[in-house]
Amino acid sequence: MAKNNIEKVEIQEEDTQKGRFLTFKLGDEVFSLEIKYVTEIVGIQPITKIPEVPDYVKGIINLRGKIIPVVDVRIKFKKEPIAYDERTCIIVVDIEDMSVGLIVDNVSEVVTIKEENIAPPPSYKTGFQNRYIKGIGKSKDGVKLLLDCNKLLTDEEKQEISDIEI
Amino acid sequence: MTEDFNNYSEPMLEMFMFETNQSMEQLEEILLNIESNSKITDDDINEIFRIMHTIKGSSSMMMFGNISKLTHSLEDLFYFIRENKVYSLDLTKLSDLVFSTIDFISLEISKIEKGEEPDGDEGSLTSQIKDYLNSLKEDNPTGEIILSEDENQHENFISKEGITENSIKYIAKIFFQEDCKMENMRAFTLLRDMEEYISDVSHIPEDLFDDNDASEKIAKEGFSISFVSEENYEKVFSLLKDGMFVELVELEEIEIEDYKLSDSEIKEDDLEEDASSGIKKNVNNSFSLNKNKNIISVNVEKMDMLMDLVGEIVITESMVTKNPELKNLELESFNKAARQLRKLNNELQDIVMSIRMIQIGPTFHKMHRIVRDMNKQLGKNTKLEISGEETEVDKNIIDTLGEPLMHLIRNSLDHGIESKEERIAKGKDERGLISLDAINTGGDVVISIQDDGKGLDRNKIIEKASKNNLLTKSPEDMSDKEVFSLIFLPGFSTKENITEYSGRGVGMDVVKRSIEKVGGNIQIESEMDEGTTISIKIPLTLAIIDGMKISVGESIFTVPTTTIKESFKARKEDLIKDASDNEMIMIRGDAYPVVRLHDVFNLKSETEDIMEGILVMVETEETSYCLFADEILGEQQVVVKPIPGYLRQYKVKDSGVAGCAILGNADISLILDISGIANEYI
Amino acid sequence: MKKVLIVDDAAFMRHTIKAMLEKNGFEIVGEAENGTIGVERYRELSPDIVTMDITMPEKDGIEALKDIRKIDSNAKVLMVSAMGQEKLVKNSIIAGAKGFIVKPFKEDKLVEALSKL
Repeated sequence: MAKNNIEKVEIQEEDTQKGRFLTFKLGDEVFSLEIKYVTEIVGIQPITKIPEVPDYVKGIINLRGKIIPVVDVRIKFKKEPIAYDERTCIIVVDIEDMSVGLIVDNVSEVVTIKEENIAPPPSYKTGFQNRYIKGIGKSKDGVKLLLDCNKLLTDEEKQEISDIEI
Repeated sequence: MTEDFNNYSEPMLEMFMFETNQSMEQLEEILLNIESNSKITDDDINEIFRIMHTIKGSSSMMMFGNISKLTHSLEDLFYFIRENKVYSLDLTKLSDLVFSTIDFISLEISKIEKGEEPDGDEGSLTSQIKDYLNSLKEDNPTGEIILSEDENQHENFISKEGITENSIKYIAKIFFQEDCKMENMRAFTLLRDMEEYISDVSHIPEDLFDDNDASEKIAKEGFSISFVSEENYEKVFSLLKDGMFVELVELEEIEIEDYKLSDSEIKEDDLEEDASSGIKKNVNNSFSLNKNKNIISVNVEKMDMLMDLVGEIVITESMVTKNPELKNLELESFNKAARQLRKLNNELQDIVMSIRMIQIGPTFHKMHRIVRDMNKQLGKNTKLEISGEETEVDKNIIDTLGEPLMHLIRNSLDHGIESKEERIAKGKDERGLISLDAINTGGDVVISIQDDGKGLDRNKIIEKASKNNLLTKSPEDMSDKEVFSLIFLPGFSTKENITEYSGRGVGMDVVKRSIEKVGGNIQIESEMDEGTTISIKIPLTLAIIDGMKISVGESIFTVPTTTIKESFKARKEDLIKDASDNEMIMIRGDAYPVVRLHDVFNLKSETEDIMEGILVMVETEETSYCLFADEILGEQQVVVKPIPGYLRQYKVKDSGVAGCAILGNADISLILDISGIANEYI
Repeated sequence: MKKVLIVDDAAFMRHTIKAMLEKNGFEIVGEAENGTIGVERYRELSPDIVTMDITMPEKDGIEALKDIRKIDSNAKVLMVSAMGQEKLVKNSIIAGAKGFIVKPFKEDKLVEALSKL
């Protein structure tokens, strides 16, 4: 059974969180999210399936009495899904009163990336995930793809068909 | 919020906001009443004065200067009206001023609630109020302005006369603390305190009461007194120093012959005692909302925590009483105690839930203001009738209902109710009527908004929906109800439809979503030229229900016990198929549809054969049918949690899931939506 | 600890005064929301000090003050007034109030006033 590693991320004043990103990995690729959306990080736990949802919505979990839907980011990005292990984490994000858990391979660290080191996303839309990328951040240990949390959560399936470029 | 104000704390601020909001509601009711009666009574004037006075005081304590200044000016206005018995008032102007004040204050309070600076500028409104007061003063020349209620009793205050051989003459100069205010009254108080020790008093400034600059003079130059006393220097000095807010005392003994304070005459304080002072006897305020009964206000967060805790107690109780370790044990005494525990928990739940229930009355009453404002702007004269105010609803729901209700009423008034001329032409009463009602139907609260306006035009709606590509069915196949429901689709409202009141970003789709957020639904019925009725049904927050756990493959579902009629194993001979090849079962002569949960949820199960599983007969308002599941696992009280917001963009709710239940072992079980399944699968 | 009875029709003021005084070593033995109840409470509780709002419904501060002084001629009553109420303050002083304080006031002023009573 996976351990429950609960790390509470401090919710600070928005100003002091500007430019701070939580990084996580899917395979070799490194992504990051603005920390202001992250409320919690927990280890993988039992998921209850839900009917009538896309394949990337794995179901719901019970987090201390609160029901949180979880999304497998690998599947959402149309990557090969892998088995969950004790390093797999669920990043709980909160946007506009909606909470969602993002299942990722593992979580690395929180970095600060200054405005000037953020470049706009690539104009070519290769790779399914690029639709969710808000920018490219350069930090001392490499390039990180900055995810647009809003898009990640509110994207609707039927839009995708028209947007995908081959 | 100023941080150097060392006086207030969060609870004080909350209390201030709560009370001020209540006062604003009260004030609004009074005003609406005045407007509808076209008359203002003495009681009204008193009450408005009192409210302004109270808020002036509390807002100044909290350092909200703009609110304080504004209420001060209104207080002065109503004081004048009251004291000078001004009866010919421009009620329209007056109520506009008060309504504007209410709006200003409410806005500032909401800024404070959000943690923003209450930086509204009250200047122009205050000027308007002052101008109006001045115009009243001109029209009601007050040669005898009654600024207080002095009656004609005179009492000499310091009357000791006679200088004895032990008398000592003193001259003193007293400075009061810098911001003690009303220095003239401080001086007066001091004189009163010294009364029994001194006589032959004279002082500068001479006039403490009618001289408007007295306080300023005392603040700047101090309060000078000369007097005679039998007491010695130390005693006199300490008497003076003990005065309230006395900062500095300069005291000198002088020779009697040298005694001369100034060139003016020595005056005795000629004081008048008031027989009755203060405000007139209390108003019997029939509009008072709930004041001063045995009621305390409780922080909503605490209520939420309490609810969560009660929920957890329910789960834990199950974990104890239904513990597998206890299986097959004979535990008579334990069971008795467990039943008692269950009984107490039920009572606890009931009480906690009732605490969160609030009457919907106040929310309804707020609509009066909306109707009034809209009537004015649109030149209509619509009446709002309210019923069912005592209906109680969970606080969470009341909070989310406010905006949708306002929008629906605005909509009715704007698009539903016809103009006076149109109505007369149709033979209707020239006044439109909107009826707002709430009723408790056992499991739900139904709120209805009914207007007697022009109703919905089915064809126009179909046309618009088609134009915006919202039609999924051919119009001929759609019932009226379905057609009317189209207006709830996002994208239905186009620009032409949006007037200032009913459509800026708060479309009907938002209304529907808000209602669904609390687990309710909304429906429309309408008849051309007769009117429209919108019904909102909201389940009473049954946060804890009795559920029957059933297993389907590896999943566990919960069926609300209230829907279950019976359960049984099927017999081969009872199984039949209907004309469309749907499975049905015969029970006591009647045929009931069978719904296989494996199919509903696409689950794999080893139990394919109906004979091996179990049938659970459930019923809704409209129909009864049987669910086919693998096993019944037992009854359990479960804590109900709604389907998370994120999942609403998918069709989870339509798939037969009503909500989520957290089981004793912290697992999640989906609660079946018995009516939903009936609609989809039968 | 000095025992205080707070009489004021605004719950906000009662709450505020109570908070201020309890922080400074006073014991609030009772509250009343109008003069009539104030006088009753005075009878029941015999506090050391009374803070009395000047304007209240039912029975105002000055009337209540007079009634209380009939019960106890040494009663120590501090009037709480607002700016512009000079006549009322004057009448209270005449009626026997030991002192007065004017809104808005800070905690230290209130405490000082009470200590002087």
